[in-house]
Amino acid sequence: MTSPRTSLFPERQRLQVSQVTTMAASTSRPLEYLESLPGMTFNKLYQQPSTALAIFRRMLPDLAKCFVMALLYLKDPLPTQDLELWVKAESKKQRDNALSILGRLHILSKTLTADNVSAYMVTNPFASSLRKALMGSEDSQSFGVFSQVPGGHPVSITDLDEYARRQWEGVLGYMVGTSALSGQRDVNLSKGVKQLLQAGHLVEIRDRRVDITKDGFGFVLQDVNTQVWNILILYVESAEAIGMDSVEVLSFLFLLSSLELGQSYEKKYLSSVQLRTLADLADFGIVYQESPEATRFYPTRLATTLTSDSSALGSTVGSSLTGPAGQPGASGTGSGFIVIETNYRLYAYTSSPLQISLISLFTTLKYRFPNLVTGKVTRQSVRRAIDMGITADQIISYLHTHAHPQLRKHNAGHSTSNTSGIPPSVLPPTVTDQIRLWQLERDRLRATAGFLFKDFTTLQEYQAPCQYAAEIGVLVWKSDRKRMFFVTRHEQVAAFLRSKK
Amino acid sequence: MPPKRKAADVGRSSSASKRATPSLDYAEVSSSDEYSDPDDGPVDNNLKDVVNKFSLEAYSKRTQSQKTDPRFGYKDLSYLTLKRDHYNRPLWIEPVKGTITLESFSPLAPQAQDFLTTIAEPLSRPTHLHEYRLTGHSLYAAVSVGLKPEDIVEFLDRLSKTPLPESISQFIIEFTKSYGKIKMVLYHNRYYVETVEPEMLQMLLKDEVIGPQRISNGEGIIQRAAPKMGALVIPGTKDAAGVRETGGQTKASARSQTENQGERQDYGINDVGDEASEALTYSFEIPATGVEIVKARCQAIGCPALEEYDFQGDTINPNLDMDLKPTARIRPYQEMSLSKMFGNGRAKSGIIVLPCGAGKTLVGITAAATIKKGTIVLCTSSMSVVQWRNEFLRWTTIDPGDIAIFTSDHKEKFKRSTGIIVSTYSMVSQTRARSYDAQKMMDWLQSREWGMMILDEVHVVPASMFRKVTSAIAAQTKLGLTATLLREDDKIKDLNFLIGPKLYEANWMELAAQGHIAKVQCAEVWCPMTTEFYSEYLRASSRKQALLYIMNPRKFQACQYLIDFHEKRGDKIIVFSDNVYALEKYARKLNKAFIYGGTGQNERLRILENFQHNEQVNTIFLSKIGDTSLDLPEATCLIQISSHYGSRRQEAQRLGRILRAKRRNDEGFNAFFYSLVSKDTSEMTYSSKRQAFLVDQGYAFKVITHLEGINEYEGLHYSTPSERRELLTEVMLQNESSADVEEVTDDLFSMRSGGRNAAAKRAKAKRSAATLSGLAGGDDMAYIEYNKSRNKQLKDKGAQHPLFKKMERDRLRRKKERETAKNQ
Repeated sequence: MTSPRTSLFPERQRLQVSQVTTMAASTSRPLEYLESLPGMTFNKLYQQPSTALAIFRRMLPDLAKCFVMALLYLKDPLPTQDLELWVKAESKKQRDNALSILGRLHILSKTLTADNVSAYMVTNPFASSLRKALMGSEDSQSFGVFSQVPGGHPVSITDLDEYARRQWEGVLGYMVGTSALSGQRDVNLSKGVKQLLQAGHLVEIRDRRVDITKDGFGFVLQDVNTQVWNILILYVESAEAIGMDSVEVLSFLFLLSSLELGQSYEKKYLSSVQLRTLADLADFGIVYQESPEATRFYPTRLATTLTSDSSALGSTVGSSLTGPAGQPGASGTGSGFIVIETNYRLYAYTSSPLQISLISLFTTLKYRFPNLVTGKVTRQSVRRAIDMGITADQIISYLHTHAHPQLRKHNAGHSTSNTSGIPPSVLPPTVTDQIRLWQLERDRLRATAGFLFKDFTTLQEYQAPCQYAAEIGVLVWKSDRKRMFFVTRHEQVAAFLRSKK
Repeated sequence: MPPKRKAADVGRSSSASKRATPSLDYAEVSSSDEYSDPDDGPVDNNLKDVVNKFSLEAYSKRTQSQKTDPRFGYKDLSYLTLKRDHYNRPLWIEPVKGTITLESFSPLAPQAQDFLTTIAEPLSRPTHLHEYRLTGHSLYAAVSVGLKPEDIVEFLDRLSKTPLPESISQFIIEFTKSYGKIKMVLYHNRYYVETVEPEMLQMLLKDEVIGPQRISNGEGIIQRAAPKMGALVIPGTKDAAGVRETGGQTKASARSQTENQGERQDYGINDVGDEASEALTYSFEIPATGVEIVKARCQAIGCPALEEYDFQGDTINPNLDMDLKPTARIRPYQEMSLSKMFGNGRAKSGIIVLPCGAGKTLVGITAAATIKKGTIVLCTSSMSVVQWRNEFLRWTTIDPGDIAIFTSDHKEKFKRSTGIIVSTYSMVSQTRARSYDAQKMMDWLQSREWGMMILDEVHVVPASMFRKVTSAIAAQTKLGLTATLLREDDKIKDLNFLIGPKLYEANWMELAAQGHIAKVQCAEVWCPMTTEFYSEYLRASSRKQALLYIMNPRKFQACQYLIDFHEKRGDKIIVFSDNVYALEKYARKLNKAFIYGGTGQNERLRILENFQHNEQVNTIFLSKIGDTSLDLPEATCLIQISSHYGSRRQEAQRLGRILRAKRRNDEGFNAFFYSLVSKDTSEMTYSSKRQAFLVDQGYAFKVITHLEGINEYEGLHYSTPSERRELLTEVMLQNESSADVEEVTDDLFSMRSGGRNAAAKRAKAKRSAATLSGLAGGDDMAYIEYNKSRNKQLKDKGAQHPLFKKMERDRLRRKKERETAKNQ
């Protein structure tokens, strides 16, 4: 008899993958964006010590940080082979990954040493800026200037969190259209915000009504940090169009991310572009100023966690933004408010109309109590969501990000008895699998773009190009009887046909 | 010991003709082991009115309209205000339908759960949040175990996060006002109508129907101290052990019993007991002939009379000398369920719901041993009858002469003045021609007064059958036992009035966690239809469709693979198929033993014995006759290849087959339940409906779309297109009737097997075309049995013809003689 533990249940492997992707999503988005920028932009960006430090601190894997620190104060480039010796052979993968990120961010470049050996060195604007930032020798206002004016009452961190939450929910609420319906105090969104959302195709205005797009649905289900980055990248992209220098805006964002929460900063040292950006960001709740004319501003948690690693932000921003009001005992332990059971019933500890309308996107709701909403995830409700363009993975990642501490606790308790070594999933695996299956049910047709060749007069005339297409791997479908075939790319086949004639 | 306890079918007479015809509209399909009764008519309509009256929704509709959010479709209750310390309280109460949501992780949850199972119907009980619903019936049950409406309201309010909605407290007060206030008491074998409120009594006396029924013997209204738990000890509990230790000091232990009761329900309800002990009851006597009339009238005026039995004070009916054996210990939940039944020292009628394999029989036996009066047990099959008798002998000290059986084969009476009789529903309720001795036996049953009637598997029997049974036999208390109080036709509600309220319903997950029943991994395996089968499926009639999705070759492969996988792990496997054609086909192809309605009694026993003890036989195929009546603790894995449409109960009952697994307390042990479903067919819809009950109990059905390793598995049947085409041709040649579910006319062990069934089978001829020379052997045809039934191979090996045995004996004798001759 074999061990009773062997089981046919392929327990949680699939879920693992999705967890990894959600974790990585928050940092990979800005990284992707940065990578897509031309090299010149980096040159400009790295002029600012704050940017260099922010990127160094928050966007690099640990091994990459090591490399940078080791190389930073070297006079001469380090031969490639020497650097490779630092890493054990079995960790080659991490080394390559670190080096590739450094390369893509234009931090490390390959040169030749005096005796013509290939070597690494830290590129210059970055190296000098980082050295400046580390040694504090810079006197430009790269890290902001604390407001020294004693006047006015200082704003507490809770107030800032509350402000950030209200503004951000206001933005999301505008997108899903809850604010008008629920009659809550309308957050006044500036025209700029609305235009930005429209420019990013997150919403569409039809007959003066705001309609959320498929991209918008995907957006609202993301976790807050990813959302903020997405919005900011949109902002940077559209900056040029309204006459601002995108590099300056971007480096200002990095500046904001290195500010300290709860401190106020002077505005008088900011450039006009920065001031303009500041005003726009206030609409999103990323910074706070008492009035547009005020002389100082406060960064909120949304700003200060911009470049933090994902684990820290999950609990802090998450709880301050979405956590149920009250429950002083419970809210300390974690962020989530959603309990999903194996019988597909969903219970969300929330009173926020925004969260309720988000949940209602994929759930059939039943009752709404003052601090709890109950409902059920059904085949119909998930299909409805999928019809709107939401994917199963988005739903699962939303549920996962907002899972109630009880779910985490329960599954952590189980993990001790689980000897297989796979960390337990927070959500019931049956439910996540089922949601995926509901999506798969619909994905039975796959569309392939391509070209149809038809109307061949003879069989030989048909067969030769068809065979050729198969050989070069572009053939998708053929019918000998109808003398037709379908290919993904036509150029070579067309050339082949021409050469025959 | 394979003999079976329970069996499904009783009412052969009516069920055969009224069987549900298969149709795709499952709303109309009822499980065929439920009886639909032709003479349900007028009485039921009357009852329906009463039943309808008892739902909160009906009540609330009169009092308030509900608000539904137009956009999200939820009922908006956010206007309710939260209490300041709401996070310490575990309940949300929804005012319209009375749905109660419970946080099971709250520190107060255990008490709240205990309380809610008493006052409300559990809807779903998974891991974190449970749902209950407050209904008239559940309140009826709560009141009947001695809770007072004010206490219910107060305690609910204390547990609730929001102030208790007005509609709920009104509902509770209003409905319990009429409930349980009137009790019908058989006291010194005279019937009394009893109540604690004099006004109520006055009201009844003034009633035009009830008033005249009163026997005026100058006594007028009788005042008596209300009963309390007193010296009653439920045997098998800790207290009972105490009694034995202290010998005759019952008084001391009685006190501890009452204290214990207090602890058990320390949520403030038990003050009731203390208060009630000082309260007085008022009663008036009615004649025995008036009992039915008064009960009916009470129900009509909305205050149904409770029946209670003061068995300790009953001196007319002789006591039965019976006790639980000292070694018998009942489990905490069994004790809990019994304490609900004997809450105030009297026995109440009602239904106890425990999962399969959780020891329902023992609960029944303990109840009988507590009452110690004449008891009649009704079960669903003749085999269960034997089983019940054996269990009685196993657990109690009863004299075997005091326990009798009444079936078509045995008609015994007990020797002494009182005892236990075990019979079947059909024996008792039959109204058509009876044999002479059966009639005599029946007369005897009817002439006696019984202390208790135990009704096993109450869910399978229709209301009218109960009405016949309960009116035919006079019993003080009625106890219904079942695992699944579910009927697709919702007739279950009638039982509230015919037997009594649901006294207790166990939490499956909790029992599994405590190791009383096995933990089960459930899985739904999706088997895609092969192209050829699917194109036929789309064209076929709905009955033929069923056959096609059952015979789907991929499903067959999955089944083969799973059997092999689990046999290698050392599991014992039961494969269920409702469809007999498929059952036989699968079993023969895989060379496994199978049992269905047509299998002879001896063959069944032999197969089951082999399954239990023979290491070579690890898999059996069963048709639906195995759904309920089977007790095989060896089985650890269950595969379902075809099933009865959307029957939630069948699913639960089948799961019950592996809940008793012997190995359940091994570390890391899991039983497995697979349901094989052909993808994209109507089976999928049924399947999700079937699982609803178990899913609400907290079971998680994992969907397996691909069995890992099945592609590498060697020797898979139907792996070539030609094999599959062959199978398809064969399936297409089958009559539509092959798709039908087996008509079960007997249970697994009934003696009638073979008779009528076999005759019907013979009548069907099989016709096929062939050449004459071919039939004569001209086409190189020879008879070889390829697909031999495994059943045949399980025959006793040593069997020899008597002639050879005789020859062998003679040979040995002669040899011996020769040897002795030589020695001499």
